[in-house]
Amino acid sequence: MIRLENIHKFFGSHEVLKGISGEISQGEVLAIIGPSGSGKSTLIRTINLLDPPTSGKIYIDGTCITEGSVDVGKIRTKMGMVFQQFNLFPHMTTLENVAYAPIKVKKLPRQEALNLGKILLQKVGLEDKEKTYPPQLSGGQKQRAAIARALAMEPEAILFDEPTSSLDPEMVKEVLNVMKGLAHTGITMIVVTHEMGFAREVADRVWFLDAGQLIEDSPSHTFFREPRTRRAYEFLEKVL
Amino acid sequence: MGLDFERILPSIPYILQGIPVTLAYTSVSLFFGFIWGALLALCKVSHLTFLKWVAVFYTSIFRGTPLLLQLTLIYFATPQLVGYNISIWEAGILAFTLNSAAYISEHFRAGIGAVDKGQTEAALSLGIPYSLMMKDIILPQAIRNILPSLVNESIDLLKESALISVIGGADILKRATIVANEKYIFFEPLLVAGALYYVLVMVLTCMAHLIEKKLKTS
Ligand SMILES: Nc1ncnc2c1ncn2[C@@H]1O[C@H](COP(=O)(O)OP(=O)(O)OP(=O)(O)O)[C@@H](O)[C@H]1O
Ligand SMILES: [Mg+2]
Repeated sequence: MIRLENIHKFFGSHEVLKGISGEISQGEVLAIIGPSGSGKSTLIRTINLLDPPTSGKIYIDGTCITEGSVDVGKIRTKMGMVFQQFNLFPHMTTLENVAYAPIKVKKLPRQEALNLGKILLQKVGLEDKEKTYPPQLSGGQKQRAAIARALAMEPEAILFDEPTSSLDPEMVKEVLNVMKGLAHTGITMIVVTHEMGFAREVADRVWFLDAGQLIEDSPSHTFFREPRTRRAYEFLEKVL
Repeated sequence: MGLDFERILPSIPYILQGIPVTLAYTSVSLFFGFIWGALLALCKVSHLTFLKWVAVFYTSIFRGTPLLLQLTLIYFATPQLVGYNISIWEAGILAFTLNSAAYISEHFRAGIGAVDKGQTEAALSLGIPYSLMMKDIILPQAIRNILPSLVNESIDLLKESALISVIGGADILKRATIVANEKYIFFEPLLVAGALYYVLVMVLTCMAHLIEKKLKTS
């Protein structure tokens, strides 16, 4: 469904991604792991063109999205994104956060979008927070609301950039549980994470990034049992 | 010296009638200045170099020349330039709007810059188009950021609106000087005018404090 071909990304003269190629199929759960600064966030942000690659090609369902003539907005509606810092809209209630894009971008009738929003909030366990503003939510609740907001556009894939890294330990689980639930629904998930437990249990596949290169692409059970590269082995030694 | 307020007592209602005039100049100019200032700020943060350049140049002109000059130029030069006999009211509103918009646009630009970058990224990742993102996501948060400076702007505008008396607008100051000239006493009517401005400014200042307190608690 998503195919990357020799992706390079420069920030000024600093080469952050050094030729990354790979493929993610429909319904797959991919965990991207690697040391800090290895380019994980940058990679995931190139996929929905928040940081367009300097060179290389990205194909979504066979369509090249890195060519000039594509409708970037339309591509982004196919791919939700969940951020480390949640990035909920603070001046809208939780339900408005979820329903806004379906109403304004998808042009869904207002009532229909609100109903959809309510169903999604129920799905992430926030049915009693519809009228609450984000600043009044806990970190875990914020991230679950952000997941519901991404789901509301009914995307084919969701990109997660360290969704639990700014949460207190006791809230990590509630978010991971929601993500686990999603993994079985057939949606494609690309998850940058430091949660090795999640990567091992839930992900189908692991990409290990080091210094801007994709140095290992393995099914998650083999990756965690016997990593093929020395760098990955050392990394796992440190974090497990 | 002796203060003799009794002699101007009959003229006090006349001076008081300047309050709605002053407030009208202030509020109408603030309203249009707010809209025009927001549009200028949108130009300043846009990626279109030409728009950005025009807005920055506009701001430097209106901040870099005296308001009194702008006002008199608009009032006296418009008939000559376009053959339209501009009224005092129109000239005042135009000058105060154009001038305050320059200042308000700078507040707006800072307020937009203070909105977290994550907001833009979240909006983009949902496929929200730029114009909707600005209108529904960024500007509401920017306005909240700049509410206190907008009240300060309205205080400045209220005081500067006294310039309208120079071209004959019947505001508080103009009425006070008319009374002064009629009765040949200057201190008392001008003191009354000063007191009126001071009270109005104090009311706005209290509002600014209330808003700031409210923003801090929520
Ligand atoms: N907008 C940017 N401008 C300049 N350099 C950047 C930018 N974004 C990232 N970088 C640099 O690119 C490199 C990779 O950053 P990236 O955020 O992708 O790493 P990461 O693997 O996500 O790290 P972490 O685990 O700490 O989140 C870093 O050296 C970072 O400083
Ligand atoms: Mg990162």
